[in-house]
Amino acid sequence: MIKGTAASDGIGIGRILLLEEATLEYTPHTAEDPKAEVERFRRAVDQLIEETKRDAAALRSTAGEKEALIMEGHISLINDPALKGETENLILSGQCAEAAYETMCDMFIGIFSSMEDEMMRQRAADVRDIKAGLLRILLGVKVVKVSDAPKGTVLLTRELTPSVTAGIKKGNIVGIITETGGKTSHSAILARALEIPAVLSVPDATSILKNGQPVIVDGTKGAVIPDPSFDVLNEYAEKRDKFLRERAELEKFRGLKTLGADGAEYELVCNIGKADDAAKVMEFDGEGVGLFRTEFLFMDRSAVPTEEEQFTAYQKAALVLKGKPLIIRTLDIGGDKEIPYMGLEKEENPFMGFRAIRYCLKNRELFRTQLRAILRASAYGDIKIMFPLITCIEELREGKAMVEEIKRELALLGIPFNKNIEVGIMVETAAAAVLADVLAKEAAFFSIGTNDLTGYTMSCDRGNSNVAYLYSALQPAVLRMIERTIKCGREAGIPVGMCGEAAANKKLIPLLISFGLTEFSVSAPSVLRVRKCISKWTKAEADRVAAKAMSLATEKEVSDYLESVC
Amino acid sequence: MVQKHFTVKNAQGFHMRPATNFATAMAAHPCSVIIRFNGKEVNAKSPMLIMAACIKVGSEIDVVCDGEGENEALAAASAMIESGFGE
Repeated sequence: MIKGTAASDGIGIGRILLLEEATLEYTPHTAEDPKAEVERFRRAVDQLIEETKRDAAALRSTAGEKEALIMEGHISLINDPALKGETENLILSGQCAEAAYETMCDMFIGIFSSMEDEMMRQRAADVRDIKAGLLRILLGVKVVKVSDAPKGTVLLTRELTPSVTAGIKKGNIVGIITETGGKTSHSAILARALEIPAVLSVPDATSILKNGQPVIVDGTKGAVIPDPSFDVLNEYAEKRDKFLRERAELEKFRGLKTLGADGAEYELVCNIGKADDAAKVMEFDGEGVGLFRTEFLFMDRSAVPTEEEQFTAYQKAALVLKGKPLIIRTLDIGGDKEIPYMGLEKEENPFMGFRAIRYCLKNRELFRTQLRAILRASAYGDIKIMFPLITCIEELREGKAMVEEIKRELALLGIPFNKNIEVGIMVETAAAAVLADVLAKEAAFFSIGTNDLTGYTMSCDRGNSNVAYLYSALQPAVLRMIERTIKCGREAGIPVGMCGEAAANKKLIPLLISFGLTEFSVSAPSVLRVRKCISKWTKAEADRVAAKAMSLATEKEVSDYLESVC
Repeated sequence: MVQKHFTVKNAQGFHMRPATNFATAMAAHPCSVIIRFNGKEVNAKSPMLIMAACIKVGSEIDVVCDGEGENEALAAASAMIESGFGE
């Protein structure tokens, strides 16, 4: 088995078609008649534009409008006045068309590859693609046609370029293997749009694997299995059929509201860790963001990020979400998340120590900077603020007072922000769950963090294998904490969400519906599965299941019972 | 010569599509169109040069139009940048 990056879910079984890059070699020479050489270059450009238009039309019918637009974007690049003009200048100065064009393209490839932004680095691939296209035309080289590939073909190529993709017939290509590209690369996006299983970044794939070789592509796990045995083949064929059935079933829920079987409406949002992940929320049909962890902004660097840097990240996420809700959790640092420049001392017991809101309220400048950045970004979307690790009402009051102070300051300076921004809290400590009736009077919303709530309630570290057996959100003690939190929130008239892994747990969903949870925040790829899961339950049935589950005394009884009804 | 200052508002900045649409729109005007950014001058009729300039959300830029139809070109540029390229 060869490992690579899992880039497009599913399993493909077939034979390899190796797309060797055509050798586009030439001997640079001096054009005898530079004017005629310019004409030759222009004819090649025209031909490439014609071919690209045809490819775009083909992509429109296989991969969709978005991918066709990317291909049409190539036309603008081919037509770029700087690229064309400078190439022609080089030709007039005596170079042949091939060398002139290659020089100019390589310059742009160099610029784009060195950019920080991954999206911009992808542009290098676009330029490489058009360079190869134009050189191919100038040199009169014929290429292997992907569109002629037979049924059951697994494409193997260094890089999946849009022009290769344009030739893909969905019924014939069952898998894709490439040597380059990550999860967010263009190859990955195209493979997902075509719903073809893909494993990318397989080192030396084009030399290890052979043309015509039988192979299994596991795009879910990121594995390639060449020459599979009969048994392995059968096992994967079964997996593939199961995957396809499930996917068809889930796709029915795309674009729908999240409704119970009785029509009750719920909010189904996502947990994200970076501003760029907001695009994933949209791709997977999430209804907003229930938890934006801001730690990443502070990690892997040597100093606190500036207000401007933070503002840009929060604003970016808000703009990508186009008015959908975005709950930003303020810095939750400490415990297991260490940041050297913050000067946190080693503690005997970091999970009970100086972390999250406790740290922020003592390091007010750092906290102020973050709150100010969030408030400024609130002018660009439906942003809410959430404090982590609250254990008593003073922490909430102190944090809210800081928010009010910054609001006054921004108003004085005439800087736009949302005056009615909601400030809510994570309920993730036993203290907060027990005190939920008091906290609900002053928090605009609750979000239950089941990972920490389970650990703190059961007094167990799930990383310690001797006690990990206690760590379960289905422990009767934890369920009572969750039930109480939701009940107190409901009584105070504030929304209660859940942003831990438990929100996506099918066994817990009927209990959460019965208790009165209004918002489920899950990882983006789980959205459709959770929406389907919620659609099975009426409040009345969920109440019946919850009543029985809450009458049971042990985690095992609860778990077995829920397994039998879910 | 006419010019105007902008703060880029759309989340993606001058990415592929905004850069391409902007350059295509500017190419329709006979005057020269330049984006001043970060001490550099960029030919605004070239999507590649615009993308290479790495203009992001929050970037401060000046658009300078010079020659025939400069007022129309600047008005068109304003409309596109201020609408956030319809993102």
